[in-house]
Amino acid sequence: MGLQFQIAMRNLFRNGRRTLLSLAIIALGTAMSFAVRGYVESSLTNIQAGIVQQNGNFQIASPLLFDNEAEGYEYLIFPEDVETIRMALSQYPEVVDVSMGLNFSGLASFGRRSKVLRGIATRPGNTALDYNDLVIEGEGLKPEDQGKVLIGQSLADERNLKPGDVFRVNLSTVDGAYNVGSLEVAGVFSLNSQQFEGQLIFVPIDYVQALLNTNGIGNLIIQLNDIEDSRRVADMVEGELQSMGLNLEARTWDELSEFYQQIKGFFNALFVFLTVAVSVLVFFIVLQVLTMAFLERTREVGTIRALGTKTNQVFFMFITEGVFLGVLGGLSGALLGWLISLGFNALNIGWTPPGALDPVPISITASLEVALVPFLVGLIATSFSALFPSLRSAKVNIVDALRTR
Amino acid sequence: MIIETRNLTKTYEAGQEQVHALRGVDFQADAGDFVVINGPSGSGKTTFLNLLSCIDLPTQGEVLIEGQAVSQLASGSLAEVRRDKIGLVFQAFNLIPVLSTFENIEYPMLLKGVPPKERKEKVNQLLEEVDLVKEGSRRPDQLSGGQKQRVAVARALVNDPVLFLADEPTGNLDSKTSERIMDIMKRLNQNHKVTFIVVTHNLEVNEYAKRVVYIRDGQLTEEQKR
Ligand SMILES: Nc1ncnc2c1ncn2[C@@H]1O[C@H](COP(=O)(O)OP(=O)(O)O)[C@@H](O)[C@H]1O
Ligand SMILES: [Mg+2]
Repeated sequence: MGLQFQIAMRNLFRNGRRTLLSLAIIALGTAMSFAVRGYVESSLTNIQAGIVQQNGNFQIASPLLFDNEAEGYEYLIFPEDVETIRMALSQYPEVVDVSMGLNFSGLASFGRRSKVLRGIATRPGNTALDYNDLVIEGEGLKPEDQGKVLIGQSLADERNLKPGDVFRVNLSTVDGAYNVGSLEVAGVFSLNSQQFEGQLIFVPIDYVQALLNTNGIGNLIIQLNDIEDSRRVADMVEGELQSMGLNLEARTWDELSEFYQQIKGFFNALFVFLTVAVSVLVFFIVLQVLTMAFLERTREVGTIRALGTKTNQVFFMFITEGVFLGVLGGLSGALLGWLISLGFNALNIGWTPPGALDPVPISITASLEVALVPFLVGLIATSFSALFPSLRSAKVNIVDALRTR
Repeated sequence: MIIETRNLTKTYEAGQEQVHALRGVDFQADAGDFVVINGPSGSGKTTFLNLLSCIDLPTQGEVLIEGQAVSQLASGSLAEVRRDKIGLVFQAFNLIPVLSTFENIEYPMLLKGVPPKERKEKVNQLLEEVDLVKEGSRRPDQLSGGQKQRVAVARALVNDPVLFLADEPTGNLDSKTSERIMDIMKRLNQNHKVTFIVVTHNLEVNEYAKRVVYIRDGQLTEEQKR
């Protein structure tokens, strides 16, 4: 009802100082939730981009490889099937690149000492698995390279290797025979991770296939234009492959990265925890303020009830005031959060995560999407604060209410 | 018969004690009556008026407004009876602070859902009758006591009630202002053909009454007709 709404609006600004106090509290809570949400969003987006760049939007492989259940190399995909898969993928305009991967492990010997290395076979020049970008010393792998390798900086330091040096790897072929390869260091890469830099090596795929005595590959890595398409395209491709009788699956980047799942779970838990804590705080403070504000108007409630206002109309009047306070508080909070994130991002603060070698930038994403949940949280916490005092005001005994001062 | 009470009884529980504020009051008033209720402090006048106003319910007995018994009505219907049939004026004026004079008078019509044009006409007419045309846009805190009470009187009449009830309407006003208010009420009683029931312990008010009723110890003891 119009007038009830107007009265609510005017009552909201009746005690300017108190309204300002409530607004400040709601806005601070909302802004804090915004900042955490924005930080989570920005971190996840960074991590996502990194993962997708290296591992593709989705990969096609045998479930045996995905689930680590293979005993040998029975998961390999052979050229005939690879061709079928490529044909299928060519139907999708979303697909921008298809790379092939083949992983192996081998025992590298450096003089008298040896070390287990995890090898990733790549086709130099592919979009995915192109670690040439990461090379900081020497040069990347070229398509015509055969016995060349990229090693991590940690490994280079540890074994005192530099471009041009040669070392040997011992491995077994797919049929179980013993084989030895000789690898010349083409370049040294940096991955900002001690563990990866110490263990990973990149070798051209043709050479690895020769060493393993196979023409099969482990997986296909598919890059799409838009990360949002990953799930949809992966599902369609998988359906197609299975209908052709291939025992292959398509798994998206987030399914493939346990690390991403964990960090996402952790970040979301952090956000939920902080937001719940903040909204409980906002709820109780605003509850106090509104209880006081509404109680002061008990006599007015008695008056309008005596004039024929129904309890639900009184309730509507008070809850409107509370909801509007929540809308204003939520909006100012979103605005404040936005400003905070802009200011924070301008400071260019970096942070070195455990296990990383260089600091990564910390930023707060500011977007309508990020603002939505904190805004709703501010609004809902405030509305809940208003609920109880509104109900109580609506239900006052008229005669008693008229007697209060 | 506009209003009638039968064996109207109100007993308050005050701790262990029972306060018999009204002890079986039988009362009737006709259309256009102007009844003044007298009585000492604590005799039960406010209790009686609260029951007539349908803002309180009796312990026993019944209030009938235009023949309809109100004590069985649900809260919502009771609110409608107050809104449509009763106009109330309080000792302390009780205007809504955030509304202007015009809006305060308009308020009961909005509750009733009267269309805007009709509301405007009615409020303007009443503003003229209580001589507040110039004060229409003022807020209550910009009005004198007498002006506030005139707003309250206009507000009480805006929905064309059958019953106008006032509890010590001049209690917070000086005698000159009181006289003005009583004059206005008298005139409105004649113009609007509404039944006026006014509680007061101010004996000077009695000269305005067509009937004077005395309450003593929760009982209607005498009645003097003019
Ligand atoms: N809510 C209440 N609880 C207990 N006693 C009350 C209450 N309201 C009124 N009374 C008592 O009832 C009696 C009548 O009060 P009231 O109707 O206010 O008298 P009046 O208006 O004539 O001064 C008084 O004794 C008063 O103390
Ligand atoms: Mg009284």
